[in-house]
Amino acid sequence: MGILSYLQSSILSKIVMAVTGAMLVGYIVIHTAGNLLIYSGQDAINSYSQFLHSLGPVLWIARIVLLLALILHIWTSIVLKVSSNEAKPEKYAVKNYFKAKLTSRTMLWTGVAVFLFVVYHVSHLTLHITNPEHVVNQMYLPHGLHLSSAASALSYERTDVYRMVILGFQNPLISLVYMIAVTIVGFHLNHAVQSMFQTLGLNHPKYFPTIQKSSVALSFIIIFCLISIPISVLLKLIGGNL
Amino acid sequence: MKLKLHVWRQKYGKSKGYFEQHDVDYVSEDMSFLEMLDVLNEKLLKSAKEPIAFDHDCREGICGCCSLTINGNPHGPEKATTTCQLHMRKFKDGETVYIEPFRAKAFPVIKDLVVDRTSLDTIIQSGGFISVNTNQPQDANALPVDKKQADLAMDAASCIGCGACVASCPNSAAMLFVSAKVSHMGLLPQGQPERKKRVLAMVNTMDAEGFGTCRNFYECEAACPKEISVRFIARMNRDFLKASLSKED
Ligand code: HEM
Ligand code: FES
Repeated sequence: MGILSYLQSSILSKIVMAVTGAMLVGYIVIHTAGNLLIYSGQDAINSYSQFLHSLGPVLWIARIVLLLALILHIWTSIVLKVSSNEAKPEKYAVKNYFKAKLTSRTMLWTGVAVFLFVVYHVSHLTLHITNPEHVVNQMYLPHGLHLSSAASALSYERTDVYRMVILGFQNPLISLVYMIAVTIVGFHLNHAVQSMFQTLGLNHPKYFPTIQKSSVALSFIIIFCLISIPISVLLKLIGGNL
Repeated sequence: MKLKLHVWRQKYGKSKGYFEQHDVDYVSEDMSFLEMLDVLNEKLLKSAKEPIAFDHDCREGICGCCSLTINGNPHGPEKATTTCQLHMRKFKDGETVYIEPFRAKAFPVIKDLVVDRTSLDTIIQSGGFISVNTNQPQDANALPVDKKQADLAMDAASCIGCGACVASCPNSAAMLFVSAKVSHMGLLPQGQPERKKRVLAMVNTMDAEGFGTCRNFYECEAACPKEISVRFIARMNRDFLKASLSKED
């Protein structure tokens, strides 16, 4: 059985969900903050992307760890769902919920939707498969170099992430899919963040109410920040020159 | 009061169940839910029909024997109330009421509304005790217990083991029950020697008995007639993790 034997234990499975979930939450918070650099203009976000790529092996380790976390998170969630269904073979004819919310009861489905979106999103912006015409390079001048000192600015090129994002969101269909997907991510996080604390045993009357409120607040902040980008592009508040 | 009852009937465990409709017109506001069923059973007996089987014992909300899922809620719609303590004044005249057994794989139906909750006893047998040699009792004040700690242990100990947490949970998890039982001893000095062994054994037995996995819907806390808090589940998760990482054998 080896490493997957944790799936035999309900609490260990939950802890794997919470720890991998925490890693994904950490990722999404950093990713959202990074995306907001688009409001600082072409150079800001392109330099950020260039910086991430310059990390080389560190970037790859981060990618592999996150991918493993995502796979464990998804696999465990499916095993949990199957075992839960088995534990309640006969459903009630009438069911009335007091505390179980739509967000908590639909975690697997919002999760599956998020996963499908992540596959598309990575194909578009990282692997450049779905819209290769959005990908061009930007000529730029590295810090500390002046036009006079540089033999030619043409020799400095990097991926123009700014242009790729703007061209993507100028397509209303891509924007719409993105906005729906981000809202679903928010739905998932709405229940997930406080659930993670409860699972890890961090529930105390002193601070848990604050955690519950912050979980909801975080989900709305993430939705708001991410949705604002396609809206700004569609309204030509940013990237109108492209 | 008049009510339209849809009562789950099932001849024995393996047979197919169905809802049987009874339009009743004798209901007084002062009756308890179980008394309302008692009167119905009298009538069924008088017309030589099979009475409805349901569990009950103390009828004062302390034994945990009564059950029933009433309109989708174990122990009915009223907060912090067992079915035996539920009064008919909580229902509206003419209301339709669905009465189903507690549902979970670990609680197989025996007959009609009676389910077998032995799996909860099996969990208790695996660790819900402290081992002491019988002898002269120790002086009660010789073991200092912090008042807050004692109160918290009492909150956990108020679990009557009815299984409403399992019945209300869409995943049929028994985490609220097990966490209450693990905590009320884990919080007191007498429970310390076996604390790690207890939580590991009780959780493993819970998993083996076919209960589902908690997914933090918190439905159990709302259904619990004794209002046990899901904080005990967090406490048990903590205890379980610590014990898994540091058990000696
Ligand atoms: C951006 C991606 C994601 C993030 C940030 C995330 C985060 C989280 C967190 C923090 C939890 C709480 C864990 C706990 O209850 O202790 C959680 C639960 C859950 N996640 Fe995700 N998740 C993501 C993607 C996914 C995907 C792709 C799936 C499935 C296909 C998924 C399915 C679930 C399910 C079913 C639960 C509930 C598990 C349970 O409580 O039993 N998630 N998620
Ligand atoms: S019959 Fe004892 S608690 Fe209801």
